[in-house]
Amino acid sequence: MWLVIALALAFLYVPLVPSLVASLAGARPGEWTLRWYGELWRTPLVLSAFRSSALVALLVGILAPLLGLLAALAIRELRVPRLILLAMLMPLFIPGVSMGLASAFLFRLLGIAPSLTTIVIVQTLWALPFATLIILTAMTTFDPQYLEAAYMAGAGRWRAFRDIELPLIASGITGAVSFSAILSINETIRTSAVQGPWNTVPTYIWSTYRQVGLSPVLYALMGLIIIATIVIVLAYLLLSRQASRR
Amino acid sequence: MNSRPHHSRSITQAADRFQAWGRRILLSLPLIFVAIFLVVPLGLTVMISFWERAGLKFRPAFSLASYVSLIGGARLEVLRRSLVVALEATALSLVLAYAIAYFLARKVEPATARIVLVLFTIPFLINYIVRNVSYTVLLGRTGVVNTALMSAGVTDAPLDWLLYSDFAVLLGLISAYMPFMIFPLFLSIGAIDRQFIEASALLGASPLTTFRTITLPLSLPGVFAAGLFGLVGCLGESAVPIILGGVGYELIGNTITSSMDVLNYPLAAALSSIVILLMLLLMLGWYLVFDMRSFLGRILEWRA
Repeated sequence: MWLVIALALAFLYVPLVPSLVASLAGARPGEWTLRWYGELWRTPLVLSAFRSSALVALLVGILAPLLGLLAALAIRELRVPRLILLAMLMPLFIPGVSMGLASAFLFRLLGIAPSLTTIVIVQTLWALPFATLIILTAMTTFDPQYLEAAYMAGAGRWRAFRDIELPLIASGITGAVSFSAILSINETIRTSAVQGPWNTVPTYIWSTYRQVGLSPVLYALMGLIIIATIVIVLAYLLLSRQASRR
Repeated sequence: MNSRPHHSRSITQAADRFQAWGRRILLSLPLIFVAIFLVVPLGLTVMISFWERAGLKFRPAFSLASYVSLIGGARLEVLRRSLVVALEATALSLVLAYAIAYFLARKVEPATARIVLVLFTIPFLINYIVRNVSYTVLLGRTGVVNTALMSAGVTDAPLDWLLYSDFAVLLGLISAYMPFMIFPLFLSIGAIDRQFIEASALLGASPLTTFRTITLPLSLPGVFAAGLFGLVGCLGESAVPIILGGVGYELIGNTITSSMDVLNYPLAAALSSIVILLMLLLMLGWYLVFDMRSFLGRILEWRA
């Protein structure tokens, strides 16, 4: 069975290699260069895509976990937990194209022009189920009796939440933040329906691929997106390991 | 309390009630967010599918034109093929994901299982356009796979069916959605009480019988959730058929985007509505048939 797992993983990881190799390839076979990565910094369109991606990922990384946290609390406290959970999971059950199209209709009928805001809204919706599930899972390891104890000691609801529960579910929240940011950095189909003239890195890759085709510079951009994702995952893993050691 | 003047008590009561309301509104924010930005837009999609095209725009009407053009034309074939391809990819992914999830949940130390799960998560997170473009490099006529096969003497000529084919599309779909299907399966298999398994073994059932009569039925909520996730992904996929299917390979996903490109929004909405209604029906079925507690386990337990 380990062999099957190794094969499945190879099957998933091997496709990451050609982009990385092609992004480093020099003029002749066997020559390696970072030139294409340098070229990226001189392409204004790429730079503005970088800025948009970073800003959007930051906002989605804040908004989705925040809404996810509220949803997780609502599931515990309001009277309709299954309904809330179902609503939070709904974005998972709507195909990406349909979700993009539907959002585009909404913004168009409301007369809202495509902007980074519309991109943030659509991506937050996409990250919400993941953020909610991660925080909800962290909450199951938390014993509500601690809260009761805090109330008895005279703490208000907010104080009890902030001082007792929040520190104990912090790992779930950082997990939700990193996951949301990564989902945001890589989202393409939903984003491209509401992007208007704005490009994030993946929509830039997608539209360039369709209009111009592949180039070493595009490979370099793909290389960067692979590296950025792996770095965020590793940073999160290191942080959470440190936190659990303490 | 009684010594306090009457009016100040009613003020604190009012403040309490105000706080309780504020809290309820705050907690409802996620629900409101989903309602405004997902439920309403999906309703709009269904509505616009009945609208008319008017030049480059569309206008309110009640017209079945989009649906008629759907049934009459070659698009019905596209719809049929999309369903077949999505079902095939989902079924293959389910078998593979189930085997992996079962192994990780039952035969492996939890710490090791967690590492393997993380390894499966990373490729899911990396932009799938990047991954699919790479498959074209690997699978093309002069690609790595064909070169290797030819130099090993397995074939004389490059294999054509590797790229721009059903095979390539299935490969792309499975690699995109299988990794994440492992999670619900892993959760539901892990949540099965081991005592059932032990009891079954004590009563003399073979491992296969135990699997067929105990493990599989009890993990069905996870199977359904994973299957639904795979189906949603595969049906809504618009990049895989473009990149790996080649020119003219149409699935419902890229048919929707190409109708959007030519500004035929009512048609795009009609195609989309069919997919959405199918998914909502399946989701409702999941919600009604399976107790979510059996899938999400302890997450909902402590609330009851």
